[in-house]
Amino acid sequence: MIKTLTLALAAAGLAFAPAAFADPEPRSTPELEAALAEGGERVVVDVLGAVCDFCALAMTRTFERRSEVAAADVDLDSKTLTVVLNPGDDLDDATIADLIERSGYDLQGIRRGEG
Amino acid sequence: MTRLIAAAGLMAACAAMAEARPVSYEDAWTVIGEHDREMTALWAHYTPHRSYSLGYRGEWHREQDMVFQGAQATWLVNRWFAPDSQGNLYLFGAGGLAYGVDSNPMDTSPAGSVGLMADWETRRVFVSYMGRAFAATDGTAHAMHAARAGFAPYIANTGGLHTWLMLQVDHAPEADEPVGVTPLVRFFQGPVLFELGWTVNADKPLVNFTYRF
Repeated sequence: MIKTLTLALAAAGLAFAPAAFADPEPRSTPELEAALAEGGERVVVDVLGAVCDFCALAMTRTFERRSEVAAADVDLDSKTLTVVLNPGDDLDDATIADLIERSGYDLQGIRRGEG
Repeated sequence: MTRLIAAAGLMAACAAMAEARPVSYEDAWTVIGEHDREMTALWAHYTPHRSYSLGYRGEWHREQDMVFQGAQATWLVNRWFAPDSQGNLYLFGAGGLAYGVDSNPMDTSPAGSVGLMADWETRRVFVSYMGRAFAATDGTAHAMHAARAGFAPYIANTGGLHTWLMLQVDHAPEADEPVGVTPLVRFFQGPVLFELGWTVNADKPLVNFTYRF
């Protein structure tokens, strides 16, 4: 009986704990790799509240409208938006924060110069 | 009698709103189609600001031979963020005209509704609730509410096929069938969300879709 309850609780805990399968490293895509190969700068943005493809779509499309952005991708597993800028272009932190907000989400952090 | 029919139809229509979320990212459009046990509806909404959307809403109440057409505004009052979850509270209001079609002699009447929707979701679990009150200038006034719960049997990353198993229960006290119980499956990939269900106690299908661009 106790073993059954333990298994049930463990299963319930897994179901309600999405962080258990989170991957801390952002994924890459052919579009991101191509933009990096052109010499673009990679910026990784940690976001809160991204739980579905509509969330990913909102951020990806909002950033891809900017002329400075060569490619963008949201990784739900790592809860990150990865942006590759066009060579010579820049998006400052305030602009990134504003774009995340306009997408409907919340900024947790910005990482530059990784990879 | 006509008033009762119109009110029951509009209230039953609300059941399909248990999940519809027209507020998107800025400068985006959302098209929503709904077909449930009582009605077929089409929304086309534009999001000028992350906090609200404006657009058209048309409803065809098949059982009552009645159509409602009007404008609806939806306000995202607040979105609660956490690393693995998101919660939303919406208020909405619609105004337009309701009129009878085919065998329904109902005259064209100004009509409107107000309501709220709330949801909370992780990538594994989803719950939502909505309530709505409707009134027409002929004095009709009613309310209804609906709730939904679901879970994802597996977790997909961005761009993959997301599948959800859900159960929706709606309550419209004046409708012929006051309570509707609808198990459904949701498929979600990129800009497209598609739902297919069956209202078991009314023996009727539910088909919903949402497309964002």
